[in-house]
Amino acid sequence: MSKLGVFDISVRYGKVPAITDLTFHLEEGERVFIAGPNGAGKSSLLNAICGRVPTTHGRIEMDGDLLTGRAPEAIARLGLSMVPEGREIFGSLTVEENLRVGTGIRRDAEAVETDIEEIFAAFPILGERRRAAAGALSGGQQQMLAIGRALMTNPKLMMVDEPSLGLAPKIVDQVYDTLVALQEERGLTLLIVEQSSLRAARVGGRMVLMRGGRIVGEGNAADMADRDALAQAYFGNTQPEAEEVA
Amino acid sequence: MTNLAQLFFDAASLGGLYAMAALGIALIFGVMNLVNFAHGEYIAFCVFALIVPSTDAVAVMLLGRAPALLLVPLVLSLGAAIAIASEYAVFRHLRRADPVAMMISSFALGFVIRNALLAIYGGRPKAISLWPELNTPVAIVGADVPLLQLIVILTTLLVVAGLAGLLKKTRLGLEMRAAAENFTMARLLGVKANVVITGAFALSGALAAAVALIMATQTGVADVRMGGQIMLVAFIATVIGGLGSLPGAVAAGFLIGAASVLLQAFLPLDARPFRDAFLYSLVIVCLLVRPQGLFVPASAKPRV
Repeated sequence: MSKLGVFDISVRYGKVPAITDLTFHLEEGERVFIAGPNGAGKSSLLNAICGRVPTTHGRIEMDGDLLTGRAPEAIARLGLSMVPEGREIFGSLTVEENLRVGTGIRRDAEAVETDIEEIFAAFPILGERRRAAAGALSGGQQQMLAIGRALMTNPKLMMVDEPSLGLAPKIVDQVYDTLVALQEERGLTLLIVEQSSLRAARVGGRMVLMRGGRIVGEGNAADMADRDALAQAYFGNTQPEAEEVA
Repeated sequence: MTNLAQLFFDAASLGGLYAMAALGIALIFGVMNLVNFAHGEYIAFCVFALIVPSTDAVAVMLLGRAPALLLVPLVLSLGAAIAIASEYAVFRHLRRADPVAMMISSFALGFVIRNALLAIYGGRPKAISLWPELNTPVAIVGADVPLLQLIVILTTLLVVAGLAGLLKKTRLGLEMRAAAENFTMARLLGVKANVVITGAFALSGALAAAVALIMATQTGVADVRMGGQIMLVAFIATVIGGLGSLPGAVAAGFLIGAASVLLQAFLPLDARPFRDAFLYSLVIVCLLVRPQGLFVPASAKPRV
């Protein structure tokens, strides 16, 4: 049984289809990147999995539990955590309070304290500013906080939507280093939306390519980075047009 | 000097009353973007719960006969209960609805409660006497202040401090603050929507009950319409304070109370009957200068 099973789901916003008959699986401990152009349905897929947007048909399972139709908080309680696009940190709460919002689902009070210290160890700047309002953090710091906050629910599966968006390359490196280290330490399964296939290739893992609400390619991130499939996903099948650009 | 002290106590107690009512509205708006116009009817409901149901002009105490130590928690729970019940019966089914639809539903709910009270108690205002000894004046810094005013000021401070403590120090408070800022994100982190919303309604209802007890003692009247006037002022206070900001609601409540008392004192005699016109002109000026509210939460941004 795979960690996450997405079976033939569709998502639409009003009449506009965002995802059409999409099926895919995620194995325990795997790291999977989702790439594709704007409007490919990457964020919609994540939002459907975490219960933020409803699916019009199909089903989603995690560890054999049906996620479809459950409230977001119920899905979070099953061990799924989300770092949304735009981070969505709670700006009026302090850094530490942000980390604590998601700990209400845990019963191991002592482990919560060690986990907080662990996150401050991984991102020292957050520890320094633990009592500061989170809204005053820089973009990179907010990204770290959003990741830390998602980890504090002690998830089995974590989804990260575009961690590199709006960040300096150096910061992105740091964010990915930490993600990978934390994954290995905790045996997390990671699903990451990443526009840059080069970045995905460097971090390593499986890559799924989406376009027009469907999966159009899949493979090892390193192999995929320079494949035709990628260019096709971004520019379509219109080869002449691509030549014109070149 | 005497006059100034008197003015201060008048302003602080009226402001405190407005602040508590405004908090009740801001709490619910914070977690579900609902301006609950039934809030005024919660207040009326709690006042009428004090007396025996009948259409007679003279009210006979029912709950009101209980000793204060029992009466206060009883009425506060009653306020919480009607608020929770209305969430369960009405607003729970409208979670995904447009804010305007929710607001209109709250009007409808208010009418239902008001007309139920009218049917049971009749339309005439009734004289009630709850803790009449609290209206005896006490001499303090040269002013004659009814004991009740001091109690109101003290209660407001206690309520504000208690609420701040609850929001800052407890798990529910943390979840309510997170939910007020970004409800969906809070849920994605496992925060239970029902717990947070029920908690907000319970607190809001208890605040309505506190306002009801104070108004009943102060005015000595039970009137079905008594909630409407204060609801209006409280709503304006939450708007001026910045919708969703709890400190803003408190501050603006006090501000309106103070402005109202000062206008009453210093307007020329001929203009005093039009005090409210002046008051609301000030409100308009406020909104023109700072349409987003005087105390906008740091997190304020358009939500999608």
